[in-house]
Amino acid sequence: MRNIWTVFKRELRQYFVSPIAYLVMFAVLMLIGLNFNTDLQDRANFEPADGTVVLSTFAFLMVFFAPLLTMRLFAEETREGTLELMLTMPIRDHELVIGKFLGAWAFYSIMLVVTLVYQGILLSLTNFDPSPAPLQSELDLGPIIGGYIGIWLFSGATIAIGMFFSAMTENQIIAGFLSMAVLFILWVGDLAGLLPASIVSTRVAEALRVISLQSHYSTSFLEGVIRPEDVYFYAGVMFIMLFVTTRLVESRRWR
Amino acid sequence: MIEVQNLVKKYGEFTALHGISFKAKEGEILGFLGPNGAGKTTTMRILTGFMPPTSGVAKVAGHDIFDESLAAREKIGYLPETVPLYPDMTVQGYLEFMAELRHVPERKKRTQEVLQLVGMEHRAKSLIRSISKGMRQRVGLAQSLIHNPPVLILDEPTIGLDPAQVADLRGFIRDLRTQHTVMFSTHILSEAEQICDRVVIINRGQIVAQGAPRELRSKLNLGSRIYVEARGRADQKSLANTLSKIQGVKFAEPYQNGVVVNVKDNKDVRPALAAAVLENGLELLELRPVAITLEEIFLEVTTALGAEEDA
Repeated sequence: MRNIWTVFKRELRQYFVSPIAYLVMFAVLMLIGLNFNTDLQDRANFEPADGTVVLSTFAFLMVFFAPLLTMRLFAEETREGTLELMLTMPIRDHELVIGKFLGAWAFYSIMLVVTLVYQGILLSLTNFDPSPAPLQSELDLGPIIGGYIGIWLFSGATIAIGMFFSAMTENQIIAGFLSMAVLFILWVGDLAGLLPASIVSTRVAEALRVISLQSHYSTSFLEGVIRPEDVYFYAGVMFIMLFVTTRLVESRRWR
Repeated sequence: MIEVQNLVKKYGEFTALHGISFKAKEGEILGFLGPNGAGKTTTMRILTGFMPPTSGVAKVAGHDIFDESLAAREKIGYLPETVPLYPDMTVQGYLEFMAELRHVPERKKRTQEVLQLVGMEHRAKSLIRSISKGMRQRVGLAQSLIHNPPVLILDEPTIGLDPAQVADLRGFIRDLRTQHTVMFSTHILSEAEQICDRVVIINRGQIVAQGAPRELRSKLNLGSRIYVEARGRADQKSLANTLSKIQGVKFAEPYQNGVVVNVKDNKDVRPALAAAVLENGLELLELRPVAITLEEIFLEVTTALGAEEDA
């Protein structure tokens, strides 16, 4: 536990001294802000405000930006030779892996927390009831609360996948590119059902949907529904990826 | 403190270590010598728990490096060949991180101590990416000392340093001896000769010689050598001829302005040499022993082994 905490602290701090982390945070928050603004204009005086727009944008951006922040986790350490030292420290391999994972996840959680600003804006915009008695917001909080939990779990899964590719190679670019490609395929997988059955049989399409990262939040968490199967899915992806990453790091000892 | 028995390491088809055995006692400086690719780094990586051996036993401070890996690792300070630093951290931040990983009590205080020890306290707040190669080496060394380990394993610590820094570092390693067992690798033989209590010479994954530098010299029966310089009518060749006929001399050959005489069995032939020079009507200008360096021992043992293999 103590070693995980030590590694975690360094990883998280590392994000705040690296320019790429600030660039990613800047890009993600700006794109979310633009999308939020457009959506708000489209709906104004016409549809009820929807707080989940921020979240679905965040999830989409994660597919492309998560690899930028996870690609260095192990690839950089391998190249700089620091991994050799870390593996001779009196800490276990899984402690190193979990510490790094939690550090990256914490950075994303901070980004996610920053987007709460938009929910605050929506809350203040939709509280237009002039009568002093019950201040009832027009905003549907269910999907927002469910959505934050769902997207948080989703980002954990994407980071775990990104970290796995970072442990596979010492080249950061390859690690980033591979995880981006895999995340994209996993993300759009549930759209396979839209293709004609002659190209993708319904069974294959269903299988792709079930393993796709998007299908486990778009129709549940973002609707305000928390289904155990979705929680298990993301937790399972994280667990499997952390396990495999630990094995990969371990395998460096045998090469 | 370090005990290695029959260590074998294979990388697929290639055998990097053919069953080596050696020991290092407490408070000893052990030099690990060999040409590039001899298996030095492999041995050190096994000792530090970075990778397991294919077979054989390695113990550090009484703990088996494989079965009690974490306990053994706690006793070791390790400086790999490429100094493992995080360029984005400050010197102090890096050392405090290492101290925390090593569970050092009073981290701040200990960090200041090692910074002073390696003479880096004035750059504590600098980013590691901004400091020079020699300073990085010192920070790496500070890292290996942070938990005051009984055993220090340094892989080519003097590589890439300027001569003054090399001298500094050698002195530093010597001073460490009082409290630590130090094992360091090098392919510079004079270095090992200067600071080691014992030397292990390794080539192609096999130990070819081990012992104190002085012991090694006599054990290999290389004899001793004497440089003779004379002035007079006779040239170097004829002088060499004359001198090689003296009893106890293996052979003599021209060298620089004089003749180098190789002596059998450490016999003292100096009076005979001086007499021979004078008898030939020459003036004796110089007569001094030439030390046999580890370099020659090394060449001797490695080429002998190579010849055996080729035969």
